[in-house]
Amino acid sequence: MIENKRSNPIITAVAKGIKKSGIKPLKISIPSDIPFEPEVVNHLGVDFFHTMRGRPIAFGTGLKLGNPKLKVVSFIGDLMTLGGNHFVHAGRRNMELLVICVNNFVYGKIGGRTHGFAPTFSPYSTFEEPFNVPHLANSCGAIYTARWTALHTDELANSIAEALGKQGFSVIEVLSPGPNYYTSIKEIESNLMNFYYENSVIKNHEDPRNVGITPEEKIVVGKFTDKERPTFIDSYNAQLGKVLGDKFKPYK
Amino acid sequence: MKANPRDVKTGVYYIDGDVASGYGALAAGCKFIGGYPITPSTEAAEAFARIAPSAGAMFIQMEDELGSIASVLGASWAGVKSMTITSGPGYSLMMEAIGFGAMLETPFVLLNIQRGGPSTGVPTKTGQADIMQSRWGSHGDYEIIAISPDSPQEMFDYTIKAFNLAEKYRCPVMIMSDECVGHMTEKVVIPKAEEIEIEPRRFYKGPKDEYLPFKPDKDLVPRMVKAGDGYKLYITGLVHDERGYPITNQKSKIKNQKLPTRRLVDKIRLNKDKIIELKEEGTKDAEVVVVSYGISSRVAVRGIEMAREKGIKVGSLRLVTVWPFPDEKIAELSSAIKAFVVPEINYGQIVFEVERCSHGEANVILVPHGGAGVHNPDDISNAIEYAAKEKKRIEGVIEYKTRLEKLVFEEGYKLRE
Repeated sequence: MIENKRSNPIITAVAKGIKKSGIKPLKISIPSDIPFEPEVVNHLGVDFFHTMRGRPIAFGTGLKLGNPKLKVVSFIGDLMTLGGNHFVHAGRRNMELLVICVNNFVYGKIGGRTHGFAPTFSPYSTFEEPFNVPHLANSCGAIYTARWTALHTDELANSIAEALGKQGFSVIEVLSPGPNYYTSIKEIESNLMNFYYENSVIKNHEDPRNVGITPEEKIVVGKFTDKERPTFIDSYNAQLGKVLGDKFKPYK
Repeated sequence: MKANPRDVKTGVYYIDGDVASGYGALAAGCKFIGGYPITPSTEAAEAFARIAPSAGAMFIQMEDELGSIASVLGASWAGVKSMTITSGPGYSLMMEAIGFGAMLETPFVLLNIQRGGPSTGVPTKTGQADIMQSRWGSHGDYEIIAISPDSPQEMFDYTIKAFNLAEKYRCPVMIMSDECVGHMTEKVVIPKAEEIEIEPRRFYKGPKDEYLPFKPDKDLVPRMVKAGDGYKLYITGLVHDERGYPITNQKSKIKNQKLPTRRLVDKIRLNKDKIIELKEEGTKDAEVVVVSYGISSRVAVRGIEMAREKGIKVGSLRLVTVWPFPDEKIAELSSAIKAFVVPEINYGQIVFEVERCSHGEANVILVPHGGAGVHNPDDISNAIEYAAKEKKRIEGVIEYKTRLEKLVFEEGYKLRE
């Protein structure tokens, strides 16, 4: 299934996606709320910011507006809990960010507690409805939404390349095992990857309303939406240009 | 470096402190403000938003204060000078990010127009009760710089100074103003661009491969680069070594490296003399010295005048920079005088610092005020009079009961009986 079993499938997909998109890695900044291994960043050749929990989208907004030439890719785990408000508003503004939301159903690093989009995996299982991330993103105004699992590395890489080429707020949800403490690597290889293989179904262009994750049904993956909308900076330039006329130089 | 003429709105204005601060930010070269409206600080953001586009600067109204300060930190790492503006509850929301900014050694300015507290408090009236929060609000060890202006003209001047200090020491700098100064309308003179000295960002200029983001210069402050220049930055809020890589204890793998968090406090503490700005008047032969900051120092001027009319030798020490605190100055004064009088619009914050630094050599008298207004100069002059007469050395802080306090307490106790 996976060529190199010890490599991280998501990072591999990001590396492939960046290469495919043709964007220079040095122009890419990655604000995240969980630290990467420094070696990974060194190999990718990007700038990496491990920010506060839940704030990478807001931090990324600052990076993008401080230097509009940057491509900002936000890696988030705490997307819908701590950072929910930033997500909603970045979508509304169509801030030019690519959000890669790594969903492992748990706070893997702290022993598997329940989460804003977790269907199961707490000591007595959870009874709360999880978020449907692509649907939420789409209704907030995201121009690109997709979902893949750690198994679909090629599709994920294609999606990342595609989203990097787009101007606007793009969201890719990635289902990935949370290995630390929660389960062993061996178990992931034997069970979880198999779980994804058996329990996911690819449905491109599916209406995001129908892609919620439930314990009973198969996980729907694929590229769901792809549309165009003026970005925050476009709208800003248009509005201020209209009001201020020649006095205003477009922000770029 | 001189200010850019495009950013400086030279002229004589009749504006309030908030607006003056917005103009000051632009003059200092600020290119990004992320803010969320909150009384009484909104006018500053509004003034900046009005003039920013023509100077190529950006104002964005974020979704909340958590977002505004995070965006300011992001913009600072993208290479532009940035600032956020807030008050009261918004300031409390920003606390986590202030520690984060200090840890990342990110230069940014935070304008806090203090209002009456706690909680929602009195949004439209003044207070000075955030001054300890500015120093200790975020978790962990760090140092910040706090400036307390007392007039609209100073709001302009010290906003520029705040940016200069932030760039120089790569730390959060807070302008701890208050509603009274923020909404006070006075004459403000904005000089020509060539008369304004600004500190440019101290970018790293050496070979790319040798760059270490947290390797300090002689003054303990590291050079900065910006995102997108190919330095493969690894920036984290975890305790990190000079490369920026996380380490799990204070011992670094790299030899001869200063302890990472030790340097965060040292770079301010050891450069204290260069940072601290005080305004001293008549302290030489004084028996009582009034220590004050912000709007209280403005009111104290009249209180001091009244005390002098009564024949008391009284001096004034105004803390323009409240943090870092001028320990040595207070200690030096305390051996020569009878007492300190500290008027502040709270129930005792900076007064305890004064008491700590006076080492029991002088009485320390607090003139408190509950907020939503300023002191009555009578109270300050009466407190000075009391301080001059008191012969005993009294330990701890003596709380001077102002007329308002007496009224509230005595009437209150009577009612209870």
